[in-house]
Amino acid sequence: MIESIEGKRGLPRHRPPYVAQVGVFGRPTLVHNVETLHWVARVCREGPGCLNAAERNGRKGLRSYSVSGRVKTPGVRLLPAGSTIADLIEACGGMADGHAFKAYQPGGPSSGILPAAMSDIPLDFDALQPHGSFIGSAAVVVLSDKDSVRDAALNMLRFFEDESCGQCTPCRVGCEKAVKLMQADTWDRTLLTELCETMIDASICGLGQAAPNPILLTMKHFSGEV
Amino acid sequence: MAEVIKFTLDGREVEAAPDESIWDVAKREGTTIPHLCHGDAPSYRPDGNCRACMVEIKGERTLAASCIRRPSAGMVVNVRGARPEKARRMVMEMLVADQPPRDRARDKSSRLWNMADMQGVLESRFPKVETDRVPLLDDSHLAMTVNLDACIHCNLCVRACREVQVNDVIGMAGRGRDAKIVFDMNDPMGDSTCVACGECVQACPTGALMPAAAVAADRTGDGGDYDREVASVCPYCGVGCQLSFKIKDERIVRVDGADGPANQNRLCVKGRFGFDYISHPHRLTAPLIRRADAPPKGLNVDPADPWTHFREATWDEALDAAANGLARLRDAHGGRSVAGFGSAKCSNEEAYIFQKIVRAGFGHNNVDHCTRLCHASSVAALMENVGSGAVTATFNEIENADCAIMIGCNPLENHPVAATYFKQFAKRGGKLIVMDPRGQGMARHASHMLQFRPGSDVAMLNAIMHAIVEEDLYDHQYVQAMTEGFEAMKTHLEGFAPEKMSEICGIAPETLRDVARTFARAKAGMIFWGMGVSQHVHGTDNSRCLISLALMCGHVGRPGAGLHPLRGQNNVQGASDAGLIPMVLPDYQPVAQGPVRDLFKDLWGTEIDPEPGLTVVEIVDEISAGRIKGLYVLGENPAMSDPDVGHARAGLAKLECLVVQDIFLTETANFADVILPAAAWPEKRGTVTNTNRQVQMGRPAVAGPGQTRADWWIANEIAKRLGLDWGYAHPRDIFNEMKASMKSLDNITWERLEAQNAVTYPSLSPEDPGQPIVFGDAFPRAGGRAKFTPARIVPPAETPDAEFPFILTTGRQLEHWHTGSMTRRADILDWAEPEASASLHPKTLRKLGVAPGETLRVETRRGAIETMARADRAVAEDMVFIPFAYVEAAANVLTNPQLDPYGKIPEFKFAACRVAKGGKGDAGAVAAE
Repeated sequence: MIESIEGKRGLPRHRPPYVAQVGVFGRPTLVHNVETLHWVARVCREGPGCLNAAERNGRKGLRSYSVSGRVKTPGVRLLPAGSTIADLIEACGGMADGHAFKAYQPGGPSSGILPAAMSDIPLDFDALQPHGSFIGSAAVVVLSDKDSVRDAALNMLRFFEDESCGQCTPCRVGCEKAVKLMQADTWDRTLLTELCETMIDASICGLGQAAPNPILLTMKHFSGEV
Repeated sequence: MAEVIKFTLDGREVEAAPDESIWDVAKREGTTIPHLCHGDAPSYRPDGNCRACMVEIKGERTLAASCIRRPSAGMVVNVRGARPEKARRMVMEMLVADQPPRDRARDKSSRLWNMADMQGVLESRFPKVETDRVPLLDDSHLAMTVNLDACIHCNLCVRACREVQVNDVIGMAGRGRDAKIVFDMNDPMGDSTCVACGECVQACPTGALMPAAAVAADRTGDGGDYDREVASVCPYCGVGCQLSFKIKDERIVRVDGADGPANQNRLCVKGRFGFDYISHPHRLTAPLIRRADAPPKGLNVDPADPWTHFREATWDEALDAAANGLARLRDAHGGRSVAGFGSAKCSNEEAYIFQKIVRAGFGHNNVDHCTRLCHASSVAALMENVGSGAVTATFNEIENADCAIMIGCNPLENHPVAATYFKQFAKRGGKLIVMDPRGQGMARHASHMLQFRPGSDVAMLNAIMHAIVEEDLYDHQYVQAMTEGFEAMKTHLEGFAPEKMSEICGIAPETLRDVARTFARAKAGMIFWGMGVSQHVHGTDNSRCLISLALMCGHVGRPGAGLHPLRGQNNVQGASDAGLIPMVLPDYQPVAQGPVRDLFKDLWGTEIDPEPGLTVVEIVDEISAGRIKGLYVLGENPAMSDPDVGHARAGLAKLECLVVQDIFLTETANFADVILPAAAWPEKRGTVTNTNRQVQMGRPAVAGPGQTRADWWIANEIAKRLGLDWGYAHPRDIFNEMKASMKSLDNITWERLEAQNAVTYPSLSPEDPGQPIVFGDAFPRAGGRAKFTPARIVPPAETPDAEFPFILTTGRQLEHWHTGSMTRRADILDWAEPEASASLHPKTLRKLGVAPGETLRVETRRGAIETMARADRAVAEDMVFIPFAYVEAAANVLTNPQLDPYGKIPEFKFAACRVAKGGKGDAGAVAAE
């Protein structure tokens, strides 16, 4: 975004320096998303209680979850930040008729895919990290027994291939190669694992660094499908 | 003392300067970390996009690109180790996957393959990208091929084009895997605004951009396919780019920029792609003597078939004929019956030996060269007011300036590599003030563009100075401490209020005042000028104004401040320094001064004529008058370059003995009695001095064809036959003799130039690389002060009238050098700019009823030519611009030979002309006489 404001191609910057030190037009810059600004306004108007009074699973605050997939009433739900996927499905009226909960994307394609068995994790900062995932954009997708996790993962990598800005090799070439490898009947796990390591280690920004998450989590939790 | 950062690299404690990256330190410590998008070359910032140089930093979650990461104190960095090595190899494997197979590589010696070799990654396990996603070959440009199937998106070419050369042609379009480099709006390279500097080709690490000459018909290529390389200097313009000739089978197959002080690896289209002229079939390869039965002298010889007029001779016969022909005239009519034109294209040693031949062999000073036609007036004004004819600061000093005036120069076309530094200056926020009657290309980068009326330079510059004095913006302290004549100048300027001068120069008074304030208030300002200033009957006055302007603002003798007339020819500075000027001996020592003559009498063992000699145009007049009957021309082409060239050619035809020494049968050689075949620049050894006062070593890349000989050797043989045996066996001998009379060469030895390639004069010690800035403490004038010389308005010699209502101005183009004898015989340059043309404003063309591309007839009181019409909004509506490189439509048939009274430079930049639709065929007769 800062590059775009400066009239350049929209490419991520190298860090360090961080934008808080060197940001737009070389000045220290604070970057916030819309949700933060929304809460800043409300906290100022209504006091901190409007946000931190909510508490669940030992976590404070509220978060807007965008839930899609096999639930009865998909949509954006404002829920306590410590909610689990089970809470979200419930808030969306339960699973759609004829569908059994199988897997979920906790927060955008970058967060990868977790199995239904891991339904008790608070969908909050830090809680998902030990499981190779994160809350990210809180765009949650619920998959059912009618869905192929393998197909979902491939779809996510196609998304990354499309979204990659093309600046750095690991993301630009890595996503494209991953999509090709993931179309094989049986995944070349060795090569995919090596590729994922390099994408994580060597991509410039979070997109390339997180793009392997769907691959790694699928191989870990749904090895039967690949 | 700069801060030193201590950190650990692969277990060893190392130190880094604050501006060093981890990659730089590793390299210094002996480890080359693999790199692709990092050019490791001057002017290229690291970009960190390819990720081939990843290293591990203790405590960080991910690896870091070492090229762009600066170490911090205490950091622990691992280049070696499983994790970083694996990542680096995987990056290579990803890239190698989509390369054309190694044995069909676009460039077998590319950095990509070298780096792949280094890490043992020669194959890839990854599936290839879909064929229809791979861009197709673009071979629309004659000089370069675009093979994007080898592109790795490293954007070095984008940085080359936008940041280094600042041509802004190449960009990256699209996104992700399908992003690709494009030219302009995704045009084929050959149709784009690419100026073919080739910087991208030199930067490309994969062969995606290749010199077309290095790519075979099956699109495989090998940039490393050469036998040897020779470091030398470019023979075209005064910038003096150092370059590297790559030679295979005794031919120059490729030219790369080298890291010289003026160019830092950069080149332009001529320097990179303009060397095949040396193997053109028109090359003179044997001495020629005019046949007894030749038709009358005229511009009537076909350079491809000279046998109708000339016969081949042995060297001995030709040298005897040449020397005896000139000696006979000397003995019969006196030494003054013979004059000499030397060359600014040859070496310092050759310029020196040539002026010595005329002075010692014929006893007078009638020896000149093309400096007369370019910067003679600038030099006259500089000598008068500053005490030295050379630049006070190198053009590279613009790096330290915050304001620069460029007047009457067109560096984008005439000093393209210097222009890259000027554009970079503007890009980082420097105030660039362009003054030119033509809306030339630098205008795009300018903060102020003053398109003033041709010939009104003095009015405009005096108005600016008036504002500076009136608004008390001048540097009182500098004026008081360093100058003389300011009070008289102040009084003189009273009559030049911007409000009054605006009408004359066509620039609004507010603009003139804004420029005055901008330049005067700058911390460090430079002034650059070219032929647009000098080639007028008031050329010296123009330069006087520029000198005064710089002096009153104190913009001389400091970093980023100075006066810089951009010298045209590769060695016009050196040839002038060497004494190829009728009024002065080497190092500008006046012939009129007794002690100077005594010095040279001691050195040369011969009397020096105390009378200053005649200049180029005056010599031609004396030839026409029949008083000069013999002429020795070394590498000049007055039959193309002189004003009113019809008159010059008629004069040349009258000569009883014309000896021409050149690499081609030039227009001048058409009139010769003896033609001596010379070695071209890449075939000989010698030193040259560029516009920056940098003395540089030129070395032979290949042997000359046939019986060609170096100019110094030929001149020495002529001298011997004139009874002057100086015993020069090597250019070094001549150089060493020059040092005896030239203080400017103090501390500069042949051996030092051999070892270091370049030394700037003045050099204060055997170790000093030379002083980029001079006259900080004092000026080399009596009293040490620079002088203000007021200039009055002198109108051009020939102003437009009802009969000849247009203003004709002449100049050059990027692709063609001077009279075109070299560049029109270079394939790529001829391809890029094949045809003579005259540029007029589209409105004017429409009024004339001439469409662009149609034939136009341009006529002055001297003659007429027919040439192709070109629409160009940069030209004012009452102006015609014609480049002078084309013999078939020679601009100098039209130009006015009136001279500036001080510099004796003709008014090439202003003549009255008329223009009409052509094509009736009657002008051709005039042009060819």
